[in-house]
Amino acid sequence: MGQINYAIRVKSLTFGYSEKTVLDNLEINIEANKLNFILGRNGSGKSTFLKIIAGVLPAQNASIQIFGNDFKTTSITERAKLIGYLGQHHKAVFPFGVEDVVLTGRAGYVKLMPGKLDKTIAQEALVKAGILHLKDKNYMELSGGEQQLVMIARVLAQQPKIILLDEPTTHLDFCHLTNLMKLLRNLTKEGITIVAVIHDPNLALLMGDEFLYMNNKKLFKTEKSENIWETGVLESIYSDNLERVPYKDKMLVMPALN
Amino acid sequence: MNLTKITKIVLYCLPLPVIIISMFIGPSNMVRFPESFFQLFSTHSDANQLAKSIILDVRLPRVLLTFFVGAALSVSGGALQSVFRNPLVSPYILGLSSGAAFGAAFAIATSLLPMQLSAFIFGFASVGLCYLIASQKRQISMVSLILAGIIVNGIFTALLTITQYLADPFKLQSIVYWTMGNLHNSNWTKFLSSVIPISIGILVIIVFRWRLNVLSLGDDEARTSGINPTRNKLIFVLAATLASSAAVAVAGIIGLYGLIIPHIVRMLNGPDNRTAVFQNIFFGGTFLVLIDDFSRSVWDFEIPIGVFTMLIGAPVFIYIMRKSNVGWDR
Repeated sequence: MGQINYAIRVKSLTFGYSEKTVLDNLEINIEANKLNFILGRNGSGKSTFLKIIAGVLPAQNASIQIFGNDFKTTSITERAKLIGYLGQHHKAVFPFGVEDVVLTGRAGYVKLMPGKLDKTIAQEALVKAGILHLKDKNYMELSGGEQQLVMIARVLAQQPKIILLDEPTTHLDFCHLTNLMKLLRNLTKEGITIVAVIHDPNLALLMGDEFLYMNNKKLFKTEKSENIWETGVLESIYSDNLERVPYKDKMLVMPALN
Repeated sequence: MNLTKITKIVLYCLPLPVIIISMFIGPSNMVRFPESFFQLFSTHSDANQLAKSIILDVRLPRVLLTFFVGAALSVSGGALQSVFRNPLVSPYILGLSSGAAFGAAFAIATSLLPMQLSAFIFGFASVGLCYLIASQKRQISMVSLILAGIIVNGIFTALLTITQYLADPFKLQSIVYWTMGNLHNSNWTKFLSSVIPISIGILVIIVFRWRLNVLSLGDDEARTSGINPTRNKLIFVLAATLASSAAVAVAGIIGLYGLIIPHIVRMLNGPDNRTAVFQNIFFGGTFLVLIDDFSRSVWDFEIPIGVFTMLIGAPVFIYIMRKSNVGWDR
């Protein structure tokens, strides 16, 4: 088998907003070409973690390596070719066309003006995200879910090796949700590492390759052999009030409401 | 689709006829259209030397200067609106007008500096000051920018008041006229001295214009797709301030113009800055020439152009504010 290829290696990552520590000496290795899901309570620091890896928040004294490259010495432009990021809330101000929004994903490659190649790649990204029909629509007039897919297409146009997604499933209906999950699976086959924060443990457990969870200001990874449904990991994240529901040869979790 | 194409063709072709016709509008009845136009090219008659000189030395520099001022204010306004992700931003909100007004007043009252240069320097400095006050660590929030603009405006308005209070009545009159915004004493020297900074500012914005699309999606989106928002915003703010300070220094305060025109262009063209920048130049320039024509031909005396733009602009501003539901939170 040889050595494991790590996409992201993080050591001694500590981060806080003013007085409050959110991440405390976090350490994690994330394997390449996998669909990684991060679970955790609201406000547990999942988004903060993604933002630091994306370069939106400062990494401070942490040691972060992206495919063996030191995070701090890579420029914003180089980083954009390695890491794509989709944040939680995106508020549009101007009524840009969908195609123009997706085209901005090419910023790391474009010197001054996007060329033919960039337009082709943006077009392909729209096809991949399954929203080619929205190409000429006004971004502001789309539904929340459609806007989400446009922003995903924008990240795809960026052609990064790692894609960080902060709650990409919010606003998506069941149909779009299924399509997105298929898309993410396909991307990992194309050699792209996905790290996504989601709130639905069932989706994470059924679809994901790797399962990370945020607890006590640290990020943990479950072992593959571990049967996460039964070891109490979910209880340690959320609460004891969980119920198991059999599904095929697996189990799903539900909040116990009584 | 066809309609937008026609609009575009009209927009791009409009400047030339408007500029030519504007040269024949004015108080002197020596100049007539179209006779004087053809006489421009003939060397025969001596009687028309005066008309020729009015057209070439008085009206032409004025019309061209007005065009450049309009273009500068519109392009700067459009760029700043994208950079700060807010359709209600203009160079004036960043303190430019009051800084420039103080600069001009200071020069008129003390005669220490040439007026145009002084207005330019203080206009530029006030935006710089505003930007410095508003920037915290990595980002500039919309609210802190607006508040910084209010403070900077306040400081320079106070200084302007002191200057006016201490100035003698004759100079006071010049100061008051300056702040109304007018182009009536345009000449080739004024034109040439302002056209260079205006052109540099506009050229920088043209060259980098696609990045405005990236920046207008937000800081995080720009940064993670490979554009340093801090550095690129600074480029645009510097370029916009250079062009609009030069415009204000030469033309006085032309209220709300840099805010309204980019909005109209967005309605006609859409927000894509790859084309909107050019439309701001063409439409912004032409429209100000038209307003100026109006201001010098409707009554027997000339109405300062800034009064016009303010009165037309205010209802449009209120309309945009109501309609676009702008949140000042980001």
